[in-house]
Amino acid sequence: MLWVDKYRPKSLDKVVVHEDIAQNLKKLVTEQDCPHLLFYGPSGSGKKTLIVALLKQIYGASAEKVKVENRAWKIDAGSRTLDLELTILSSTNHVELTPSDAGFQDRYIVQEIIKEMAKNRPIDTKGKKGYKVLVLNEVDKLSREAQHSLRRTMEKYSSSCRLILCCNSSSKVTEAIKSRCLNVRINAPSKEEIVKVLEFIAKKESLQLPQGFAARIAEKSNRSLRRAILSLETCRVQNYPFTDNQVISPMDWEEYVAEIATDMMREQSPKSLFQVRGKVYELLVNCIPPEVIMKRLLHELLKKLDSELKLEVCHWAAYYEHRMRLGQKAIFHIEAFVAKFMSIYKNFLISTFG
Amino acid sequence: MSDIRKWFMKAHEKGNGSAPNRLLSKAVAVTSAAETASIKSEQASEDQESAARRKTSKYFGKDKTIAKDEKEVGEIPAKRKLKTDSDDLGKSRPRKAIKVDDDDDDFEVPNSRKTRDSTPSKKLKSGSGRGVTSKAVDIDEDDDGEDAQEKETPLKSGGRGRGGRAASGASTGGRGRGGGRGGFMNFGERKDPPHKGEKEVPEGNPDCLAGLTFVISGTLDSLEREEAEDLIKRHGGRVTGSVSKKTTYLLCDEDIGGRKSEKAKELGTKFLTEDGLFDMIRSSKPVKKSLPERTNKGTEKVSAQLKISPQKEETRGKLVAKISPNKVPPHSSPAKAKKKIIQTSLPWTEKYRPKVPNEIVGNQSLVTQLHNWLSHWHDQFGGTGSKGKGKKLNDAGAKKAVLMSGTPGIGKTTSAKLVSQMLGFQAVEVNASDSRGKANSNIAKGIGGSNANTVKELVNNEAIAANIDRSKHPKTVLIMDEVDGMSAGDRGGVADLIASIKISKIPIICICNDRYSQKLKSLVNYCLPLNFRKPTKQQMAKRLTHIAKAEGLEVNEIALEELAERVNGDIRLALNQLQYMSLSMSVIKYDDIRQRLLSSAKDEDISPFTAVDKLFGYNGGKLRMDERIDLSMSDFDLVPLLVQENYLNYRPSSTGKDEAKRMELLARAAESIADGDIINVQIRRHRQWQLSLSSCVASSILPASLLHGSREVLEQGERNFNRFGGWLGKNSTAGKNTRLLEDLHVHVLASRESSSGRETIRVDYLPLLLNRLTSPLQTLPKDEAVSEVVEFMNSYSISQEDFDTIMELAKFKGRANPLEGVPPAVKSALTKKYNETNKTRMVRAADMVQLPGMKKAPKKRIAAMLEPSVESLKDEDGELLAENEEENESDAEDSEEATDGEKLESNLKNLNARGIQVEVDVKGAGSSGLRKAAGKGRGRGKAADASEKKAAGRGSGAKRKR
Repeated sequence: MLWVDKYRPKSLDKVVVHEDIAQNLKKLVTEQDCPHLLFYGPSGSGKKTLIVALLKQIYGASAEKVKVENRAWKIDAGSRTLDLELTILSSTNHVELTPSDAGFQDRYIVQEIIKEMAKNRPIDTKGKKGYKVLVLNEVDKLSREAQHSLRRTMEKYSSSCRLILCCNSSSKVTEAIKSRCLNVRINAPSKEEIVKVLEFIAKKESLQLPQGFAARIAEKSNRSLRRAILSLETCRVQNYPFTDNQVISPMDWEEYVAEIATDMMREQSPKSLFQVRGKVYELLVNCIPPEVIMKRLLHELLKKLDSELKLEVCHWAAYYEHRMRLGQKAIFHIEAFVAKFMSIYKNFLISTFG
Repeated sequence: MSDIRKWFMKAHEKGNGSAPNRLLSKAVAVTSAAETASIKSEQASEDQESAARRKTSKYFGKDKTIAKDEKEVGEIPAKRKLKTDSDDLGKSRPRKAIKVDDDDDDFEVPNSRKTRDSTPSKKLKSGSGRGVTSKAVDIDEDDDGEDAQEKETPLKSGGRGRGGRAASGASTGGRGRGGGRGGFMNFGERKDPPHKGEKEVPEGNPDCLAGLTFVISGTLDSLEREEAEDLIKRHGGRVTGSVSKKTTYLLCDEDIGGRKSEKAKELGTKFLTEDGLFDMIRSSKPVKKSLPERTNKGTEKVSAQLKISPQKEETRGKLVAKISPNKVPPHSSPAKAKKKIIQTSLPWTEKYRPKVPNEIVGNQSLVTQLHNWLSHWHDQFGGTGSKGKGKKLNDAGAKKAVLMSGTPGIGKTTSAKLVSQMLGFQAVEVNASDSRGKANSNIAKGIGGSNANTVKELVNNEAIAANIDRSKHPKTVLIMDEVDGMSAGDRGGVADLIASIKISKIPIICICNDRYSQKLKSLVNYCLPLNFRKPTKQQMAKRLTHIAKAEGLEVNEIALEELAERVNGDIRLALNQLQYMSLSMSVIKYDDIRQRLLSSAKDEDISPFTAVDKLFGYNGGKLRMDERIDLSMSDFDLVPLLVQENYLNYRPSSTGKDEAKRMELLARAAESIADGDIINVQIRRHRQWQLSLSSCVASSILPASLLHGSREVLEQGERNFNRFGGWLGKNSTAGKNTRLLEDLHVHVLASRESSSGRETIRVDYLPLLLNRLTSPLQTLPKDEAVSEVVEFMNSYSISQEDFDTIMELAKFKGRANPLEGVPPAVKSALTKKYNETNKTRMVRAADMVQLPGMKKAPKKRIAAMLEPSVESLKDEDGELLAENEEENESDAEDSEEATDGEKLESNLKNLNARGIQVEVDVKGAGSSGLRKAAGKGRGRGKAADASEKKAAGRGSGAKRKR
């Protein structure tokens, strides 16, 4: 088993990184009725871990006994019927799903599943908790319509169903939903915390960590605990015992994005743009989310750019990233950004060096 | 090439049979400088020949003359013999000129001589520059000579030369580059004409090709196929697709040896080059020209020629006017007289509605069939309804109703009415203008004699009812027109109609446009289907000629055929158009029809490639806005994709060498394309179709107008053609990979070791997973490595397919394959080991269960798994499963529990009984796990297959959806 999963805290008591939040959550569910919750924070900060631990806190061991299925829904949407399919993770007491996988038809999913859950009240004779929990991932990717339909159902069925929403950025969740939830911000763990966790794992695995090695991993991990642990294990697999100056290899796709950035800096021409397009396609085909590509690309570019251009390039990256979310064919927008960058950079080079 | 030349030679030789004597006589004639004599002799020689051969031999004969003349002059090589100068009206310009050469007293002599002398440079150019065939070159020379002559002969040139040039300009301009009608499938199959647009397209007598049939084969020298077709049609010729006995000429410039030329050789059809065609056309003109030209010189000569020309025409059996060639058709005078008499205000469609079945254009056999059916109806079904049902005399009569189908305007209603009228039936017509819901629902009762609601129905039903009772006399037939138009307003229309048919005591004729319409599916079974086809253009033209004659219109048949083609078989529309045109003109020519019906032109299939080509081409900037919109709308989905794929390849003509500027334009174009994508989302997702224009401006027109120019190649070895949009393919691959990743995700979730999202798995987990899966294989000894990897796979319930998925996703172009360096033996050991341990697998996924009542198994995938770690939860679990089963009956559940196992077993039996192949993986702690191994492998294979299929489906579907 991977260390990330092996050393994932299973209950709220064992949570190390966000201990205060965990304690509050525990109090919340034990002493009071649980409100709707909205967890938000950067990836790798522990939202999922907290949610799972919270569920365990609420329902006990049965929450761990989950079932995965690919459910298909037939939804009658006015004149036509839609066939939707989605993977859901469910136990007797909770259902977890990622509605944004259904694309722009996510709202039907949200409505259907919530109604269904409301209809089927949990059969629990011992009368522990009178509600089920619906965990929705990636709420920030929900379409506006889905969010709107969500806010009504949240109230309507609140007696039988609690929602736990999970997302990276709360800014993409409508105010209406935010105001109906208890917002829980999960910060990215600090580097010290990451180092602490890494050292804890190393101790458990009885590894010899060279001086500063954990810190270097934490540095590279972009304050994502998950990534830190994963790269620690990668290093372990690649080379053990660790050497002092062991390379912490970046993710495969990160390398590739860095390559693209190098291409863009080296040559600004239709030909180069064409090659970049091919590489971006390659990333997309390999299931790297376009937002991630865009972000990483900007990151790589900023490393190499002259400072006077940074602001402008950031502006355009944000501009095209926004448009990418409005549009549907991500490659068009990434390419537009690349073209824009090339144009700017070319002009800059000409004006500086003639 | 040599082949075709031989063929030409052959034809020539054939003609030569009579040539020598002609040559002789001609020589005499020439030397005596008596033109009339020469013509007479020519005529005489012609008379000896068969009609079919006459023309070639004639001009071959004449060629001889020319050759001879020229030899005398000593300027032109002997090759010239082959010049195929047609001479329809017997007065070709070159010939004249040459004759004139011989006429010492002619004033033109110096001119023409000078011409020939002064054009060596031209000849040179044509000789060397054009790498065609030597023969073509010869002709070119001739052409050039002629052109030059034309220019330098002040008396002649005038308006004609310019007119000719203008015409050619217009026709090429309109067609543009590569205006092929072939879709992109045969893109590039036919080459562009080598000297496209370089030659002047002649303009001749509009009837000069009348009665001749051409077949075009291969690439012509300067004309596009369509242009050539147009040219021939404009001059009254007929163009057909394949060679037959009727074909007069096979028009081709080089022998490509296809079926056409073989057939032509077999049938002895003559070959004609493009220049030959031009000459034929050109030569038709001068008749008129020669009049003023020669007046002062040889009046007798001219008159002699004039006399001869009509004679020739007549001998050829052509319908060409006697005196002046562009005042035309023969049937004009009688028709005019008639016209005065029948001057009514009826629309022609009504006026010339067929009065007898024979007048119906096309589908005669169907009309006969209808006639038979109707005339036998009462014999079969009798006057007394249900009793008669038993007698089934023949198949055609076995149905109580007919269903006539066909496109609008081809005479369905007319034939129904006519036939019933002829058989003495009284037709009751119910069409879309009647409220059919009610009318229909009551017809049944009406036939039975009960009352109806509205007055109209009352009338209809009254008549029917009354007639049924009297059973014999004025028999009635019900014509249900436009049955496929029964819509929401007509409640239960079709069902009622069927009910009516069942109990009907009168024949019912149903008429519809689309027989395969979903609405009529049930009706078809009760009816005898009669599919009306579109009449051919010849059939239509015949009828139209008839009508035109009656109306005093002067139209030639070719023009009417074109009209017939343009209206796409709709006679009604053709008549309406004709009537409209008759208001403003009494002589309608081919060009008029072309112009008039330009809008309703046969939709020239513009392939998306052609569209992009044109938009981005050099002249892209000169296109009108509506043309650009037309082009980019030619395929609303594909053109933007092609634009996006190819816009990088164009070097904008506006920037020249300025690379920075070009980059800037590229950025703007890219942004505009992205705009197009955003608009497209609005259109598709929110159904804002009013934005489609903006979308096409943003996604195609703007980029094109920024970047149009010449196309260049970005990668070595790439063909300089527009690539097909890469997005579709990449998107479908991405979709496939996403599904595979989702499978992996589900399995990882099912292992309950991780609860990460799909993207997390890809972005964060995958590199490590890959490492864990491959590095042992590369470093450790075989057995150790294999067991370690399998153990790891098991802990995350990664299946063999997921293993492949991970390898696939980690592959980047230009990077090493992650499995490189792993010996095949290790791989196979891995597979073996994996399958072995399969039995003891803790968690399994069930894949691809085919379920009863599901059409497509792959549509539904059930992944149900899980072993409860706590035994005490068993009951609860069972409950849940039962619950789920109720909720979603098509779900098959997986459980290791005894009770559920039984249930499952019974389910299985059930399914097997129904002959449905089911593979369910039963997760078992015990023995049931055994049978899983086999089932598993197969099931998965199928799953992969299915997802593959799905991907393909998406791929093709994407075009429509997105």
